[in-house]
Amino acid sequence: MPEAIPPVFRRAVIALSGGAVDETVVRLALEFGRASRAELIAIHVVELNWTQPLDADVAERSEEAQRVLDAAEGVAEAMHGKLEAVLVQARDVGAAIVDEAAARDADLLILGLPYRTRFGGDFAIGRAVPYALKNAPCAVWVVREPMGEEPQ
Amino acid sequence: MFVIVVGGGKVGYFLARELIGAGHEVALMERDRARAVQITEEIGSIVIPQDGCEGKYLGQAGANRADIVAAVTGDDEDNLVICQMAKHHFDVPRTIARVNNPKNESLFKHLGVDEIVSPTRMILGSIEADIPVHELLHLAVLGGGELELVEAQLRIGSPAVGVTAGSLNLPDGCSIFAIIRDDRAMSVRSETELQEGDKVIGIGRTECEAELHRILLGDTDSQD
Repeated sequence: MPEAIPPVFRRAVIALSGGAVDETVVRLALEFGRASRAELIAIHVVELNWTQPLDADVAERSEEAQRVLDAAEGVAEAMHGKLEAVLVQARDVGAAIVDEAAARDADLLILGLPYRTRFGGDFAIGRAVPYALKNAPCAVWVVREPMGEEPQ
Repeated sequence: MFVIVVGGGKVGYFLARELIGAGHEVALMERDRARAVQITEEIGSIVIPQDGCEGKYLGQAGANRADIVAAVTGDDEDNLVICQMAKHHFDVPRTIARVNNPKNESLFKHLGVDEIVSPTRMILGSIEADIPVHELLHLAVLGGGELELVEAQLRIGSPAVGVTAGSLNLPDGCSIFAIIRDDRAMSVRSETELQEGDKVIGIGRTECEAELHRILLGDTDSQD
């Protein structure tokens, strides 16, 4: 059986949600990008409501946002890889991620998707993933985390 | 500048698009979800799919830091409520309202809307300018809507024909200052005698319009 050829990309934007799936997404990007020495940009978006201007000093002061970026950088360091961590303030996460991918001329956008269900049990895909799938100019990978155990 | 546009119809949509193009920050409020989604897809994530008539949602749209709130829905009552709430509840420095029914203009002014825009009045003005009616033509609105620049063409039987400008008993706050006679503009002096065919240019408070009409052209009912 022929050996699988890893997909090649030269620049990928990785969307960090701050959840457990972030580590998987970063590892995946590092593994697949290693062969082509791809440039990796990890972006975490802090959504601001309209009561604050977009240049309000919020994200930089947010310990949570810093933790998300530090965690991604930590994973990259442990895997001897490189990663540029970026913090962005925006009104809408999906739009901000897609804009960043377009602005960076990325050929791949990777998003993590936590496994969540709505009240009633329907799977909830959220807004950012559908937006990215519909609007991103580049290829999009969505990494869904495993289902949790059924509640007893 | 941060502008909140309330109403995502044609006016609101194009207004928001122009403002964004000019580099302003814009939040557009549209209560119809389907329309809100459509605008979001076309312009971007600037749409708040809520009713701007409700203070809670106007607050969520950032009225606390807005420089301008423009209420451009197709409903005069809604536009009035939006502007009043923006002005008095959120201290928005400038409110602009679209007024569809010209009869509501004075009410809007009276209730403190900073600027009113009446598409009906504008179109009416354009039509009047092209039709040789013997009515007062509305040339422009000045002073934030307080004053109107008007033109009256005198004809045979107009009460002002043969009368000197100084002897016209114009209402307080009204003034005539120019005449167009034989396609030439002349300034009006106290002794200037008005003639048939003169186009008299005047300025006055909007509420004086009927009185100015009566003095220059006669009672509205007696026309034609």
